Amino acid sequence: MWEALRDWIRERREKLNLFDETLAARQDNPMFLLGPLLYYFWLITVVTGVVLMIWYEPTTTGAFSSIERIQHEVPLGWLIRGLHKYAADGLILTIILRIYRMYFLGEYKKPGELSWMLGFLGLVLAMISGITGYLLIWNQRAFWAAKTVLSVPVYFDEIPLIGPMGFGSMIAYVFLGGPAVGQATITRFYALHFGISLVLLILIEVFFQRTRRRRINMSLAPMILFMVMLVVISYILPAESGRRADPTRTPLPILSDWYFLALYQYVKYTPPLWAGLGPGLLIGFGMLVPFLDRSRGRRPLERPFFFVVGLMALIYFLVFTTLILFNIAVIERDPFIVMVVTVAVLFGALLWELRYRRRQRSAPPRAAPAVRPHAAG
Amino acid sequence: MDAEPAPRMERRSLLKWAVAAPALAGLAAFASPLLRFLKPNVDKFKIYAPVTNDVARGETIVAATLDDIPRPWDYKYFVFTQKYPQYTPEGFKAANMPGVVVRLPYKVPLPVQWARTIGKEPQVTESDIIVYSRICPHLGCIYNYVPNWREVTAGYGGYVPPDARKHALMACPCHLSIYDPADREMPGRVLSGPAPRPPRTFLYRVEGTSIIVTDVEPGGIA
Repeated sequence: MWEALRDWIRERREKLNLFDETLAARQDNPMFLLGPLLYYFWLITVVTGVVLMIWYEPTTTGAFSSIERIQHEVPLGWLIRGLHKYAADGLILTIILRIYRMYFLGEYKKPGELSWMLGFLGLVLAMISGITGYLLIWNQRAFWAAKTVLSVPVYFDEIPLIGPMGFGSMIAYVFLGGPAVGQATITRFYALHFGISLVLLILIEVFFQRTRRRRINMSLAPMILFMVMLVVISYILPAESGRRADPTRTPLPILSDWYFLALYQYVKYTPPLWAGLGPGLLIGFGMLVPFLDRSRGRRPLERPFFFVVGLMALIYFLVFTTLILFNIAVIERDPFIVMVVTVAVLFGALLWELRYRRRQRSAPPRAAPAVRPHAAG
Repeated sequence: MDAEPAPRMERRSLLKWAVAAPALAGLAAFASPLLRFLKPNVDKFKIYAPVTNDVARGETIVAATLDDIPRPWDYKYFVFTQKYPQYTPEGFKAANMPGVVVRLPYKVPLPVQWARTIGKEPQVTESDIIVYSRICPHLGCIYNYVPNWREVTAGYGGYVPPDARKHALMACPCHLSIYDPADREMPGRVLSGPAPRPPRTFLYRVEGTSIIVTDVEPGGIA
Protein backbone atom coordinates (compact mmCIF):
# COMPACT_ATOMS: atom_id res chain seq x y z
CA MET A 1 0.00 0.00 0.00
CA TRP A 2 2.83 2.39 0.87
CA GLU A 3 4.42 1.71 -2.49
CA ALA A 4 1.17 2.50 -4.29
CA LEU A 5 0.83 5.75 -2.37
CA ARG A 6 4.43 6.68 -3.08
CA ASP A 7 3.98 6.01 -6.78
CA TRP A 8 0.79 8.03 -6.79
CA ILE A 9 2.51 11.00 -5.19
CA ARG A 10 5.57 10.76 -7.44
CA GLU A 11 3.43 10.70 -10.56
CA ARG A 12 1.46 13.77 -9.41
CA ARG A 13 4.57 15.58 -8.30
CA GLU A 14 6.07 15.34 -11.74
CA LYS A 15 2.96 16.98 -13.20
CA LEU A 16 2.67 19.43 -10.31
CA ASN A 17 1.61 22.86 -11.40
CA LEU A 18 1.80 25.34 -8.55
CA PHE A 19 1.65 28.61 -10.44
CA ASP A 20 0.66 27.44 -13.93
CA GLU A 21 4.36 27.31 -14.73
CA THR A 22 3.85 24.37 -17.08
CA LEU A 23 1.15 26.17 -19.01
CA ALA A 24 3.33 28.99 -20.32
CA ALA A 25 2.26 28.28 -23.90
CA ARG A 26 -1.28 29.38 -23.07
CA GLN A 27 -0.28 32.71 -21.65
CA ASP A 28 -2.23 34.66 -24.25
CA ASN A 29 -5.34 33.57 -22.38
CA PRO A 30 -5.68 35.71 -19.23
CA MET A 31 -7.17 32.74 -17.37
CA PHE A 32 -3.76 31.11 -17.45
CA LEU A 33 -2.10 34.29 -16.29
CA LEU A 34 -3.70 33.73 -12.89
CA GLY A 35 -0.97 31.39 -11.67
CA PRO A 36 2.05 33.62 -12.28
CA LEU A 37 0.00 36.61 -11.20
CA LEU A 38 -0.67 34.85 -7.90
CA TYR A 39 3.02 34.36 -7.29
CA TYR A 40 3.74 37.93 -8.32
CA PHE A 41 1.18 39.38 -5.91
CA TRP A 42 2.48 37.13 -3.18
CA LEU A 43 6.05 38.34 -3.63
CA ILE A 44 4.90 41.97 -3.53
CA THR A 45 3.00 41.24 -0.31
CA VAL A 46 6.01 39.59 1.31
CA VAL A 47 8.46 42.31 0.34
CA THR A 48 6.22 45.18 1.42
CA GLY A 49 5.39 43.23 4.57
CA VAL A 50 9.04 43.10 5.53
CA VAL A 51 9.31 46.85 4.98
CA LEU A 52 6.24 47.40 7.17
CA MET A 53 7.81 45.29 9.92
CA ILE A 54 10.47 47.94 10.30
CA TRP A 55 7.88 50.46 11.45
CA TYR A 56 5.18 48.31 12.96
CA GLU A 57 4.93 47.85 16.71
CA PRO A 58 3.10 44.67 17.81
CA THR A 59 1.62 45.83 21.10
CA THR A 60 -1.96 46.51 22.10
CA THR A 61 -1.11 50.07 23.02
CA GLY A 62 1.19 50.92 20.12
CA ALA A 63 -0.13 48.96 17.16
CA PHE A 64 -2.83 51.32 16.01
CA SER A 65 -0.66 54.44 16.40
CA SER A 66 2.20 52.80 14.55
CA ILE A 67 -0.13 52.01 11.64
CA GLU A 68 -1.31 55.61 11.62
CA ARG A 69 2.29 56.75 11.65
CA ILE A 70 3.14 54.48 8.73
CA GLN A 71 0.14 55.78 6.83
CA HIS A 72 0.67 59.50 7.44
CA GLU A 73 4.21 60.26 8.56
CA VAL A 74 6.67 57.69 7.22
CA PRO A 75 7.86 58.73 3.74
CA LEU A 76 5.96 56.64 1.18
CA GLY A 77 4.47 54.66 4.08
CA TRP A 78 1.02 54.95 2.52
CA LEU A 79 2.39 53.36 -0.64
CA ILE A 80 4.02 50.42 1.13
CA ARG A 81 0.93 49.80 3.22
CA GLY A 82 -1.36 50.20 0.21
CA LEU A 83 0.73 47.80 -1.84
CA HIS A 84 0.71 45.29 1.01
CA LYS A 85 -3.05 45.46 1.41
CA TYR A 86 -4.05 45.56 -2.23
CA ALA A 87 -1.52 42.96 -3.33
CA ALA A 88 -2.90 40.70 -0.59
CA ASP A 89 -6.43 41.35 -1.83
CA GLY A 90 -5.23 40.62 -5.35
CA LEU A 91 -3.60 37.45 -4.11
CA ILE A 92 -6.85 36.18 -2.57
CA LEU A 93 -8.80 37.20 -5.66
CA THR A 94 -6.44 35.40 -8.03
CA ILE A 95 -6.43 32.27 -5.87
CA ILE A 96 -10.23 32.21 -5.88
CA LEU A 97 -10.46 32.82 -9.63
CA ARG A 98 -7.78 30.24 -10.29
CA ILE A 99 -9.59 27.67 -8.16
CA TYR A 100 -12.77 28.32 -10.11
CA ARG A 101 -10.86 27.99 -13.38
CA MET A 102 -9.37 24.68 -12.25
CA TYR A 103 -12.78 23.54 -11.14
CA PHE A 104 -14.76 24.40 -14.25
CA LEU A 105 -12.07 23.22 -16.65
CA GLY A 106 -11.67 19.96 -14.77
CA GLU A 107 -7.97 20.57 -14.15
CA TYR A 108 -8.23 18.69 -10.87
CA LYS A 109 -8.60 15.41 -12.71
CA LYS A 110 -5.71 13.04 -13.05
CA PRO A 111 -2.86 13.98 -12.89
CA GLY A 112 -3.85 17.34 -11.45
CA GLU A 113 -5.16 16.13 -8.08
CA LEU A 114 -2.16 17.30 -6.09
CA SER A 115 -2.03 20.67 -7.85
CA TRP A 116 -5.68 21.21 -7.01
CA MET A 117 -5.27 20.21 -3.37
CA LEU A 118 -2.27 22.47 -2.90
CA GLY A 119 -4.09 25.31 -4.61
CA PHE A 120 -7.05 24.87 -2.32
CA LEU A 121 -4.83 24.62 0.75
CA GLY A 122 -3.20 27.83 -0.46
CA LEU A 123 -6.57 29.58 -0.33
CA VAL A 124 -7.15 28.39 3.25
CA LEU A 125 -3.68 29.50 4.34
CA ALA A 126 -4.08 32.83 2.56
CA MET A 127 -7.33 33.43 4.42
CA ILE A 128 -5.68 32.53 7.75
CA SER A 129 -2.86 34.86 6.85
CA GLY A 130 -5.45 37.51 6.05
CA ILE A 131 -7.29 37.22 9.34
CA THR A 132 -4.10 37.12 11.42
CA GLY A 133 -2.89 40.11 9.42
CA TYR A 134 -5.80 42.35 9.98
CA LEU A 135 -5.82 41.89 13.74
CA LEU A 136 -2.40 43.57 13.68
CA ILE A 137 -4.03 46.91 12.80
CA TRP A 138 -5.81 46.67 16.16
CA ASN A 139 -8.88 48.52 15.00
CA GLN A 140 -12.49 47.77 15.85
CA ARG A 141 -13.08 45.48 12.91
CA ALA A 142 -9.93 43.51 13.60
CA PHE A 143 -10.59 43.09 17.29
CA TRP A 144 -14.13 41.81 16.91
CA ALA A 145 -13.25 39.61 13.97
CA ALA A 146 -10.48 37.94 15.99
CA LYS A 147 -12.78 37.48 18.93
CA THR A 148 -15.64 35.94 16.97
CA VAL A 149 -13.39 33.74 14.84
CA LEU A 150 -11.65 32.35 17.91
CA SER A 151 -14.93 31.79 19.74
CA VAL A 152 -16.03 29.44 16.96
CA PRO A 153 -13.70 26.54 17.86
CA VAL A 154 -14.88 26.68 21.49
CA TYR A 155 -18.16 25.17 20.28
CA PHE A 156 -16.33 22.07 19.03
CA ASP A 157 -16.48 21.02 22.68
CA GLU A 158 -20.18 20.30 22.09
CA ILE A 159 -19.46 17.49 19.63
CA PRO A 160 -20.24 14.15 21.26
CA LEU A 161 -17.30 11.86 22.15
CA ILE A 162 -14.40 14.02 20.99
CA GLY A 163 -15.91 17.26 22.30
CA PRO A 164 -15.47 16.72 26.05
CA MET A 165 -11.72 16.32 25.64
CA GLY A 166 -11.63 20.07 25.16
CA PHE A 167 -9.73 20.31 21.91
CA GLY A 168 -12.00 23.12 20.76
CA SER A 169 -11.17 25.44 23.63
CA MET A 170 -7.55 24.33 23.40
CA ILE A 171 -7.38 25.58 19.81
CA ALA A 172 -8.91 28.89 20.86
CA TYR A 173 -6.63 29.27 23.89
CA VAL A 174 -3.47 28.46 21.97
CA PHE A 175 -4.28 31.09 19.34
CA LEU A 176 -5.44 33.66 21.88
CA GLY A 177 -2.58 33.04 24.27
CA GLY A 178 -5.08 33.07 27.13
CA PRO A 179 -8.81 33.32 27.63
CA ALA A 180 -9.11 36.83 26.19
CA VAL A 181 -7.96 38.79 23.16
CA GLY A 182 -4.93 40.73 24.34
CA GLN A 183 -1.22 41.26 24.01
CA ALA A 184 -0.49 37.55 23.75
CA THR A 185 -2.97 37.30 20.86
CA ILE A 186 -1.35 40.09 18.89
CA THR A 187 2.11 38.54 19.39
CA ARG A 188 0.96 35.13 18.25
CA PHE A 189 -0.94 36.50 15.28
CA TYR A 190 2.12 38.52 14.27
CA ALA A 191 4.25 35.39 14.35
CA LEU A 192 1.69 33.38 12.39
CA HIS A 193 1.05 36.10 9.85
CA PHE A 194 4.70 36.23 8.92
CA GLY A 195 5.44 32.56 9.55
CA ILE A 196 2.89 31.20 7.08
CA SER A 197 4.38 33.13 4.18
CA LEU A 198 7.95 32.50 5.27
CA VAL A 199 7.60 28.72 5.53
CA LEU A 200 5.66 28.41 2.28
CA LEU A 201 8.11 30.62 0.45
CA ILE A 202 11.03 28.43 1.52
CA LEU A 203 9.22 25.25 0.49
CA ILE A 204 8.33 26.69 -2.90
CA GLU A 205 11.85 27.95 -3.45
CA VAL A 206 13.12 24.41 -2.80
CA PHE A 207 10.59 23.11 -5.31
CA PHE A 208 11.68 25.56 -7.99
CA GLN A 209 15.35 24.89 -7.34
CA ARG A 210 14.79 21.17 -7.82
CA THR A 211 12.60 21.35 -10.88
CA ARG A 212 14.44 24.27 -12.48
CA ARG A 213 11.22 25.75 -13.69
CA ARG A 214 10.76 29.41 -14.32
CA ARG A 215 9.21 31.11 -11.31
CA ILE A 216 7.03 33.79 -12.85
CA ASN A 217 5.85 32.88 -16.33
CA MET A 218 4.74 36.31 -17.20
CA SER A 219 6.11 38.86 -19.61
CA LEU A 220 7.12 42.28 -18.40
CA ALA A 221 4.01 44.05 -19.71
CA PRO A 222 1.43 42.53 -17.35
CA MET A 223 3.86 42.80 -14.44
CA ILE A 224 4.24 46.52 -14.97
CA LEU A 225 0.53 46.91 -15.64
CA PHE A 226 -0.50 45.26 -12.39
CA MET A 227 2.15 47.14 -10.43
CA VAL A 228 0.82 50.42 -11.78
CA MET A 229 -2.69 49.30 -10.91
CA LEU A 230 -1.68 48.60 -7.31
CA VAL A 231 0.08 51.95 -7.00
CA VAL A 232 -2.88 53.83 -8.45
CA ILE A 233 -5.36 52.08 -6.16
CA SER A 234 -3.13 52.75 -3.13
CA TYR A 235 -3.08 56.40 -4.08
CA ILE A 236 -6.75 57.04 -4.81
CA LEU A 237 -8.11 54.62 -2.20
CA PRO A 238 -5.62 54.64 0.71
CA ALA A 239 -5.81 51.57 2.95
CA GLU A 240 -8.23 52.29 5.78
CA SER A 241 -7.30 52.19 9.44
CA GLY A 242 -10.77 52.43 10.98
CA ARG A 243 -11.05 53.18 14.68
CA ARG A 244 -8.83 51.97 17.46
CA ALA A 245 -10.05 48.71 19.02
CA ASP A 246 -12.43 49.31 21.92
CA PRO A 247 -13.09 46.10 23.88
CA THR A 248 -16.18 47.58 25.52
CA ARG A 249 -18.11 48.55 22.42
CA THR A 250 -19.07 46.53 19.35
CA PRO A 251 -19.86 48.84 16.45
CA LEU A 252 -23.07 48.45 14.44
CA PRO A 253 -22.98 47.48 11.64
CA ILE A 254 -19.69 45.65 11.63
CA LEU A 255 -18.19 43.94 8.60
CA SER A 256 -15.14 41.82 7.94
CA ASP A 257 -12.78 41.71 4.97
CA TRP A 258 -14.57 41.13 1.69
CA TYR A 259 -13.62 37.48 1.33
CA PHE A 260 -15.10 36.63 4.73
CA LEU A 261 -18.39 38.44 4.19
CA ALA A 262 -20.29 35.43 2.78
CA LEU A 263 -19.06 33.30 5.66
CA TYR A 264 -20.14 36.02 8.07
CA GLN A 265 -23.69 35.94 6.69
CA TYR A 266 -23.67 32.15 7.00
CA VAL A 267 -22.65 32.43 10.67
CA LYS A 268 -25.72 34.58 11.32
CA TYR A 269 -27.96 31.84 9.98
CA THR A 270 -26.61 28.80 11.74
CA PRO A 271 -26.19 27.53 15.30
CA PRO A 272 -22.62 28.24 16.43
CA LEU A 273 -21.37 24.67 16.22
CA TRP A 274 -22.27 24.62 12.53
CA ALA A 275 -20.56 27.95 12.05
CA GLY A 276 -17.35 26.00 12.55
CA LEU A 277 -18.33 22.66 11.06
CA GLY A 278 -19.84 24.11 7.86
CA PRO A 279 -16.67 25.77 6.57
CA GLY A 280 -14.71 22.74 7.76
CA LEU A 281 -16.89 20.45 5.67
CA LEU A 282 -16.61 22.85 2.74
CA ILE A 283 -12.82 22.74 2.95
CA GLY A 284 -12.95 18.95 3.24
CA PHE A 285 -15.21 18.74 0.20
CA GLY A 286 -12.93 21.06 -1.74
CA MET A 287 -9.87 19.00 -0.92
CA LEU A 288 -11.60 15.75 -1.87
CA VAL A 289 -13.28 16.94 -5.08
CA PRO A 290 -10.74 15.14 -7.32
CA PHE A 291 -11.65 11.84 -5.68
CA LEU A 292 -15.40 12.42 -5.45
CA ASP A 293 -15.84 13.38 -9.08
CA ARG A 294 -15.40 10.12 -11.00
CA SER A 295 -16.87 11.37 -14.28
CA ARG A 296 -14.67 11.06 -17.35
CA GLY A 297 -15.18 14.37 -19.12
CA ARG A 298 -13.29 17.52 -18.36
CA ARG A 299 -15.78 19.95 -19.83
CA PRO A 300 -18.39 21.34 -17.39
CA LEU A 301 -21.39 19.95 -19.27
CA GLU A 302 -19.86 16.48 -19.25
CA ARG A 303 -20.17 16.35 -15.45
CA PRO A 304 -23.45 18.14 -14.71
CA PHE A 305 -23.61 17.48 -10.96
CA PHE A 306 -20.25 18.98 -10.10
CA PHE A 307 -20.83 21.79 -12.55
CA VAL A 308 -24.03 22.74 -10.71
CA VAL A 309 -22.34 22.43 -7.30
CA GLY A 310 -19.57 24.80 -8.39
CA LEU A 311 -22.04 27.23 -9.87
CA MET A 312 -24.12 27.15 -6.70
CA ALA A 313 -21.06 27.84 -4.53
CA LEU A 314 -20.26 30.86 -6.68
CA ILE A 315 -23.82 32.16 -6.57
CA TYR A 316 -24.11 31.68 -2.80
CA PHE A 317 -20.82 33.51 -2.32
CA LEU A 318 -22.12 36.48 -4.30
CA VAL A 319 -25.64 36.47 -2.84
CA PHE A 320 -24.50 36.18 0.78
CA THR A 321 -21.95 38.93 0.25
CA THR A 322 -24.65 41.19 -1.22
CA LEU A 323 -27.09 40.40 1.60
CA ILE A 324 -24.60 41.29 4.30
CA LEU A 325 -23.57 44.50 2.57
CA PHE A 326 -27.19 45.63 2.70
CA ASN A 327 -27.54 44.27 6.26
CA ILE A 328 -30.42 41.96 5.33
CA ALA A 329 -30.77 38.85 7.45
CA VAL A 330 -34.19 37.73 8.55
CA ILE A 331 -33.13 34.77 10.63
CA GLU A 332 -36.64 33.28 10.88
CA ARG A 333 -37.10 33.20 7.12
CA ASP A 334 -33.84 32.97 5.23
CA PRO A 335 -32.23 29.69 6.39
CA PHE A 336 -35.39 27.81 5.42
CA ILE A 337 -35.34 29.33 1.92
CA VAL A 338 -31.62 28.59 1.56
CA MET A 339 -32.12 24.98 2.63
CA VAL A 340 -35.05 24.41 0.28
CA VAL A 341 -33.25 25.99 -2.67
CA THR A 342 -30.06 24.02 -1.96
CA VAL A 343 -31.82 20.68 -1.69
CA ALA A 344 -33.95 21.34 -4.78
CA VAL A 345 -30.97 22.41 -6.87
CA LEU A 346 -28.83 19.48 -5.74
CA PHE A 347 -31.68 17.08 -6.49
CA GLY A 348 -32.15 18.61 -9.92
CA ALA A 349 -28.42 18.36 -10.57
CA LEU A 350 -28.49 14.70 -9.59
CA LEU A 351 -31.35 14.03 -11.99
CA TRP A 352 -29.46 15.83 -14.75
CA GLU A 353 -26.36 13.79 -14.03
CA LEU A 354 -28.28 10.50 -14.12
CA ARG A 355 -30.06 11.43 -17.35
CA TYR A 356 -26.79 12.49 -18.92
CA ARG A 357 -25.12 9.23 -17.96
CA ARG A 358 -28.00 7.11 -19.23
CA ARG A 359 -27.89 8.96 -22.53
CA GLN A 360 -24.12 8.47 -22.68
CA ARG A 361 -24.53 4.76 -22.18
CA SER A 362 -27.27 4.32 -24.76
CA ALA A 363 -25.51 6.51 -27.32
CA PRO A 364 -23.32 4.64 -29.79
CA PRO A 365 -19.73 4.62 -28.53
CA ARG A 366 -17.62 7.20 -30.27
CA ALA A 367 -13.89 7.61 -29.93
CA ALA A 368 -14.34 7.59 -26.16
CA PRO A 369 -13.39 4.36 -24.39
CA ALA A 370 -16.10 2.13 -23.01
CA VAL A 371 -17.71 3.16 -19.73
CA ARG A 372 -15.66 1.82 -16.88
CA PRO A 373 -17.69 0.12 -14.17
CA HIS A 374 -16.90 2.62 -11.41
CA ALA A 375 -17.66 5.55 -13.66
CA ALA A 376 -21.10 4.22 -14.41
CA GLY A 377 -22.00 4.93 -10.78
CA MET B 1 19.93 -16.09 15.85
CA ASP B 2 16.43 -17.30 16.33
CA ALA B 3 15.54 -20.83 15.31
CA GLU B 4 11.92 -20.23 14.45
CA PRO B 5 10.94 -21.95 11.20
CA ALA B 6 8.77 -19.15 9.81
CA PRO B 7 9.62 -15.81 11.40
CA ARG B 8 6.64 -13.46 11.51
CA MET B 9 8.80 -10.42 11.19
CA GLU B 10 11.86 -9.97 9.06
CA ARG B 11 15.06 -9.08 10.79
CA ARG B 12 15.36 -5.78 8.97
CA SER B 13 11.91 -4.55 9.93
CA LEU B 14 12.51 -5.59 13.52
CA LEU B 15 15.69 -3.56 13.56
CA LYS B 16 13.88 -0.65 11.95
CA TRP B 17 11.30 -0.72 14.70
CA ALA B 18 13.98 -1.07 17.35
CA VAL B 19 15.55 2.14 16.09
CA ALA B 20 12.36 3.99 15.31
CA ALA B 21 10.61 3.49 18.65
CA PRO B 22 13.22 5.21 20.86
CA ALA B 23 13.73 7.86 18.20
CA LEU B 24 10.02 8.65 18.21
CA ALA B 25 9.93 8.63 21.99
CA GLY B 26 12.84 11.03 22.05
CA LEU B 27 11.06 13.27 19.56
CA ALA B 28 7.96 13.25 21.74
CA ALA B 29 10.08 14.21 24.73
CA PHE B 30 11.42 17.16 22.76
CA ALA B 31 7.96 18.12 21.55
CA SER B 32 6.39 18.20 24.99
CA PRO B 33 8.14 21.37 26.18
CA LEU B 34 7.30 22.89 22.79
CA LEU B 35 3.64 22.27 23.52
CA ARG B 36 4.08 23.82 26.93
CA PHE B 37 5.66 26.74 25.16
CA LEU B 38 2.29 27.35 23.58
CA LYS B 39 0.47 27.11 26.88
CA PRO B 40 2.90 27.58 29.75
CA ASN B 41 0.57 27.80 32.72
CA VAL B 42 -0.58 24.18 32.74
CA ASP B 43 1.20 21.17 34.13
CA LYS B 44 3.50 19.01 32.09
CA PHE B 45 1.69 16.75 29.62
CA LYS B 46 -1.61 18.43 30.47
CA ILE B 47 -1.79 20.41 27.26
CA TYR B 48 -5.31 19.18 26.55
CA ALA B 49 -6.63 20.57 29.83
CA PRO B 50 -7.09 24.20 28.95
CA VAL B 51 -8.85 25.68 31.95
CA THR B 52 -7.07 24.29 35.01
CA ASN B 53 -5.33 27.46 36.12
CA ASP B 54 -7.17 29.83 33.86
CA VAL B 55 -9.96 30.86 36.21
CA ALA B 56 -10.35 34.60 36.14
CA ARG B 57 -10.68 36.76 39.23
CA GLY B 58 -13.01 39.73 39.21
CA GLU B 59 -12.98 42.95 41.18
CA THR B 60 -16.09 43.73 43.21
CA ILE B 61 -17.57 47.06 42.15
CA VAL B 62 -20.70 49.13 42.54
CA ALA B 63 -22.41 48.70 39.20
CA ALA B 64 -25.23 51.16 39.80
CA THR B 65 -27.35 52.68 42.51
CA LEU B 66 -31.07 52.20 42.90
CA ASP B 67 -31.52 55.86 41.94
CA ASP B 68 -29.93 55.19 38.55
CA ILE B 69 -32.74 52.86 37.57
CA PRO B 70 -35.91 54.03 39.29
CA ARG B 71 -38.50 53.07 36.65
CA PRO B 72 -39.13 49.81 34.76
CA TRP B 73 -36.92 49.29 31.67
CA ASP B 74 -34.32 51.71 33.00
CA TYR B 75 -30.82 50.41 32.58
CA LYS B 76 -27.24 51.29 33.32
CA TYR B 77 -24.07 50.04 31.66
CA PHE B 78 -21.01 49.32 33.74
CA VAL B 79 -17.62 47.69 33.24
CA PHE B 80 -16.39 44.88 35.44
CA THR B 81 -12.67 44.11 35.44
CA GLN B 82 -11.51 40.52 35.35
CA LYS B 83 -7.93 39.38 35.65
CA TYR B 84 -7.16 36.57 33.25
CA PRO B 85 -3.99 34.52 33.19
CA GLN B 86 -2.27 35.13 29.89
CA TYR B 87 0.81 33.78 28.24
CA THR B 88 2.84 36.94 28.25
CA PRO B 89 5.76 37.89 30.49
CA GLU B 90 3.35 39.78 32.77
CA GLY B 91 1.31 36.61 33.12
CA PHE B 92 -2.12 38.19 33.26
CA LYS B 93 -4.39 40.50 31.40
CA ALA B 94 -7.03 42.72 32.94
CA ALA B 95 -10.03 42.30 30.65
CA ASN B 96 -13.01 44.59 30.72
CA MET B 97 -16.32 42.79 30.94
CA PRO B 98 -19.14 45.11 30.11
CA GLY B 99 -22.42 44.52 31.90
CA VAL B 100 -25.86 46.05 32.14
CA VAL B 101 -28.14 46.47 35.14
CA VAL B 102 -31.79 46.34 34.12
CA ARG B 103 -34.87 47.23 36.13
CA LEU B 104 -37.76 45.01 35.10
CA PRO B 105 -41.45 45.78 35.64
CA TYR B 106 -41.98 42.53 37.55
CA LYS B 107 -39.95 40.00 39.52
CA VAL B 108 -38.28 37.13 37.71
CA PRO B 109 -36.28 34.16 39.01
CA LEU B 110 -32.62 35.05 38.47
CA PRO B 111 -30.59 32.47 36.53
CA VAL B 112 -27.77 32.18 39.08
CA GLN B 113 -27.58 28.41 39.57
CA TRP B 114 -24.06 28.52 38.12
CA ALA B 115 -22.83 30.20 41.31
CA ARG B 116 -22.42 26.78 42.99
CA THR B 117 -19.82 25.79 40.39
CA ILE B 118 -17.50 28.56 41.56
CA GLY B 119 -18.32 27.91 45.22
CA LYS B 120 -20.55 30.90 45.88
CA GLU B 121 -24.03 31.21 47.26
CA PRO B 122 -26.22 33.72 45.40
CA GLN B 123 -27.65 36.35 47.73
CA VAL B 124 -30.52 37.38 45.49
CA THR B 125 -32.41 34.71 43.59
CA GLU B 126 -35.61 36.51 42.66
CA SER B 127 -35.82 40.19 41.88
CA ASP B 128 -36.93 42.84 39.45
CA ILE B 129 -33.30 43.91 39.08
CA ILE B 130 -31.18 41.70 36.87
CA VAL B 131 -27.54 42.13 35.91
CA TYR B 132 -26.40 40.68 32.58
CA SER B 133 -22.94 40.33 31.16
CA ARG B 134 -23.03 42.16 27.83
CA ILE B 135 -20.70 39.64 26.21
CA CYS B 136 -22.84 37.81 23.71
CA PRO B 137 -22.94 34.08 24.54
CA HIS B 138 -22.74 33.36 20.81
CA LEU B 139 -19.32 34.55 19.62
CA GLY B 140 -18.34 37.14 22.18
CA CYS B 141 -19.32 40.49 20.72
CA ILE B 142 -20.81 43.13 23.01
CA TYR B 143 -24.54 43.31 22.56
CA ASN B 144 -26.63 46.39 23.25
CA TYR B 145 -29.60 47.08 25.45
CA VAL B 146 -32.13 48.61 23.08
CA PRO B 147 -34.84 50.52 24.97
CA ASN B 148 -37.08 50.81 21.90
CA TRP B 149 -37.87 47.53 20.13
CA ARG B 150 -38.42 49.38 16.83
CA GLU B 151 -34.71 50.05 16.71
CA VAL B 152 -34.14 46.30 16.87
CA THR B 153 -36.42 45.83 13.87
CA ALA B 154 -34.71 48.61 11.94
CA GLY B 155 -31.06 47.99 12.70
CA TYR B 156 -30.68 44.32 13.59
CA GLY B 157 -31.90 42.38 10.58
CA GLY B 158 -35.63 43.02 10.57
CA TYR B 159 -36.84 40.96 13.54
CA VAL B 160 -40.35 41.92 14.65
CA PRO B 161 -41.15 40.76 18.19
CA PRO B 162 -44.60 39.34 19.01
CA ASP B 163 -46.98 41.77 20.74
CA ALA B 164 -46.28 40.40 24.22
CA ARG B 165 -42.59 41.22 23.82
CA LYS B 166 -42.84 44.69 22.33
CA HIS B 167 -40.68 46.29 24.99
CA ALA B 168 -37.00 46.91 25.54
CA LEU B 169 -34.87 44.12 24.06
CA MET B 170 -31.20 43.25 23.87
CA ALA B 171 -29.58 42.76 20.47
CA CYS B 172 -26.11 41.91 19.21
CA PRO B 173 -24.65 43.82 16.26
CA CYS B 174 -22.42 41.00 15.07
CA HIS B 175 -24.74 38.12 14.23
CA LEU B 176 -28.11 39.60 15.14
CA SER B 177 -29.02 37.52 18.18
CA ILE B 178 -31.94 39.09 20.03
CA TYR B 179 -32.71 38.51 23.70
CA ASP B 180 -35.70 39.26 25.90
CA PRO B 181 -34.34 40.60 29.22
CA ALA B 182 -37.73 40.17 30.92
CA ASP B 183 -38.81 36.65 30.05
CA ARG B 184 -40.68 35.25 33.05
CA GLU B 185 -39.29 31.73 32.95
CA MET B 186 -35.86 32.23 31.41
CA PRO B 187 -34.62 35.83 31.65
CA GLY B 188 -32.58 36.67 28.57
CA ARG B 189 -34.38 34.11 26.40
CA VAL B 190 -33.09 34.03 22.82
CA LEU B 191 -35.85 35.36 20.58
CA SER B 192 -34.00 35.25 17.28
CA GLY B 193 -30.56 34.63 15.89
CA PRO B 194 -27.85 32.04 16.30
CA ALA B 195 -27.14 32.40 20.04
CA PRO B 196 -27.24 29.02 21.81
CA ARG B 197 -28.25 30.29 25.26
CA PRO B 198 -29.29 33.40 27.21
CA PRO B 199 -26.59 35.91 28.15
CA ARG B 200 -24.46 35.19 31.20
CA THR B 201 -25.39 36.93 34.44
CA PHE B 202 -23.64 38.57 37.37
CA LEU B 203 -24.06 37.80 41.06
CA TYR B 204 -24.99 40.92 42.99
CA ARG B 205 -26.17 42.13 46.35
CA VAL B 206 -27.84 45.34 47.36
CA GLU B 207 -26.27 47.36 50.17
CA GLY B 208 -28.14 50.52 51.00
CA THR B 209 -28.85 51.92 47.57
CA SER B 210 -25.79 50.38 45.90
CA ILE B 211 -26.01 47.39 43.59
CA ILE B 212 -22.72 45.61 44.11
CA VAL B 213 -21.66 43.01 41.55
CA THR B 214 -19.21 40.39 42.74
CA ASP B 215 -18.87 37.60 40.18
CA VAL B 216 -19.70 36.81 36.60
CA GLU B 217 -20.70 33.47 35.19
CA PRO B 218 -17.58 31.84 33.75
CA GLY B 219 -17.32 30.86 30.09
CA GLY B 220 -16.86 32.53 26.74
CA ILE B 221 -13.96 34.63 25.54
CA ALA B 222 -13.63 38.11 26.97
